[in-house]
Amino acid sequence: MADIVVKHLVKRFGKVEAVSDVSLRIADGEFLVLLGPSGCGKSTILRVVAGLEDADEGEIVIGDRLVNFVDPVKRNVAMVFQNYALYPHMTVYKNIAFPLQIAKKSKTEIDAAINKAAGILGLEELLQRLPGQLSGGQRQRVALGRAIVREPQAFLMDEPLSNLDAQLRLQTRLELIELHQRLGITTMYVTHDQVEAMTMGSRIAVMNHGVLQQIGTPNEVYRRPANVFVATFLGAPPMNLITGALEASDGGWRFHGTDVDVRLSSDVLDPATLEHEAEIHGEVSFGLRPEHFRLGAPGEAGGIAGRIEFLEPVGSDLYLTVEAGGTTVQVRTDPETAVAAGENVSLQFDASRVHLFGSDGRNIRKDVPAAATAPAAVPADAE
Amino acid sequence: MHEHTPSVEGPEPSTHAAEYAAAAKRHRLLGIVKGVLAYAILALFAVIAIGPFLYLLSPSFRQSYELFSYPPDWIPNSLYWDNFKTVLNDTSYLRWGVNTLIFATAVTLITLVIDTMAGYAFARLRFPGRTLLFALVLSTLMIPTAVLIAPLYIMMSNLPDWTHSGVNTFPAMILPMVVSPLGVFMMRQFISTLPEGLVEAARLDGAGEWLIFRRIVLPLMKPAIVVLGIFTFMFQWVNFLWPLVITTTDDMKTLTVGIASLQGQFVTNWGVISAAAVLTMLPVVVIFLVFQKWFVQASMAGALKQ
Repeated sequence: MADIVVKHLVKRFGKVEAVSDVSLRIADGEFLVLLGPSGCGKSTILRVVAGLEDADEGEIVIGDRLVNFVDPVKRNVAMVFQNYALYPHMTVYKNIAFPLQIAKKSKTEIDAAINKAAGILGLEELLQRLPGQLSGGQRQRVALGRAIVREPQAFLMDEPLSNLDAQLRLQTRLELIELHQRLGITTMYVTHDQVEAMTMGSRIAVMNHGVLQQIGTPNEVYRRPANVFVATFLGAPPMNLITGALEASDGGWRFHGTDVDVRLSSDVLDPATLEHEAEIHGEVSFGLRPEHFRLGAPGEAGGIAGRIEFLEPVGSDLYLTVEAGGTTVQVRTDPETAVAAGENVSLQFDASRVHLFGSDGRNIRKDVPAAATAPAAVPADAE
Repeated sequence: MHEHTPSVEGPEPSTHAAEYAAAAKRHRLLGIVKGVLAYAILALFAVIAIGPFLYLLSPSFRQSYELFSYPPDWIPNSLYWDNFKTVLNDTSYLRWGVNTLIFATAVTLITLVIDTMAGYAFARLRFPGRTLLFALVLSTLMIPTAVLIAPLYIMMSNLPDWTHSGVNTFPAMILPMVVSPLGVFMMRQFISTLPEGLVEAARLDGAGEWLIFRRIVLPLMKPAIVVLGIFTFMFQWVNFLWPLVITTTDDMKTLTVGIASLQGQFVTNWGVISAAAVLTMLPVVVIFLVFQKWFVQASMAGALKQ
């Protein structure tokens, strides 16, 4: 087992820069999720670490060894592909045995390794089947089996659950979490599914357009998103944003937008930063998660006046689409709430929940770490 | 007991019964007419395809003098086997058969080795000039064989002695035929349809290029290999021009060249030639029938993707 360090990685495809100066450190035994929309460069990072693509700039270090010019197999990492990439003409047994046969292991060693892996993954009954005779979940387990038997230093998983149906995905997700707890192997996991990222990752690295946006625990990236992209990519529905400007009043600061005029809390927002932001005269965004709104009677002080457009009951919650602040905002509320479309309400909130994004999109809350808002910088521990 | 079942309102009884009957009848009639037409067209094509074969089969079972009777008899009065006896006993037919078998088999095997490997290289390896080289390979498709016959003959007859090639040798007969740009193209296209992930997975599993080719790609190419093999074999089995040019002695002739040589300057025994031709066709027909299902599989090559 080993840690993986990616330093200032740049990867270009022709003129397109797929990965721009990304630095990451995945600690030994950690489960790091690379999260982002398709085409954001997350799979490319994984493929560069695996050795399937060469880095144009930057270093890849696996367990203290620079591997930029090391053959994929000698990096001792195992990859699980989105489409499983099982060899269709080989039985499950032979699929799993393939890497061991190439490594010239003896028959007894191979048998022992396969029996162990099959035991862990519950594949004992399937060893003589062909991949074509297996269900999606079983194929996924075989792919994992092929990765496990090599006893790699790290697992690289490229959207391994995206070909499974919803129920199986949930089940396999739990199996993967359990497997990681059991084996403790360093894992890099690529996904575009935020639920997978939130539930599986020790930490999440959020990517967009080849740039690392933020890296942190699931809680950190959800509660203290570094910028507008992270705030709106994580969360379903995403964080509500209302654009407007900053105004000084009574020794404090207020956010002023269309039909919105709310006081900002100096507990979470540094007045100096707000003053600096106000001097730029740029447009700022007021951000609040759907679950942090509270419905109040129309005209109630301190809130945002709005009108309910749609109701979406989903059983456990009730989602309201409210027209407010010159835009539509999503509000999560109790399903028992007695409201109707067309009703006027006042959206109340706790000032400490407010996020404020500057004209450059950065979150200027006090508790958002500065390093996370400067994605190009190398995390201190990566040097 | 009356079970409570959710009731579904039934449709009203049809008020268009007469109209319905007429429409149904029209529909049935149209179907019959369409069917008859389709079969007529198919039958026409069947006759076009089978006609020449019957025209060949019939004289092989008749005596020569019967062939020119008027009106022509399609069906012989009695089966006359002597044409076949003559072919087998009085000509070098068996020797020609062996020659053809060696020639066609060798060409097929070598073609398969070269084309699968070249196809893999063009489909999966990255090397400078790949596109240009592939275009070059394809462009050779435009050169007619006839143009190449003379230069090839000169090349083959001037090879140094240690190669044991030259006129009337198997190497000279086989070598120029093993280059098949169409085969390279077919193999490349087929390999391109195999999921890239398989090759990458094998690479991560530690397999080198050769192992990936032999253990992963080659087994998955079976349908394509069978099709290319059969095409090549059948084509070479009846290849005429090149064997005609490169062989001069009777014991090196292939079947096609041998049969052609049965044509006399003044008298030609068409019954014997027909019998020889029928015998020559048999193996090809059998091979085709046996491997028929592979052709269907290869055309569904995309289904091989997981």
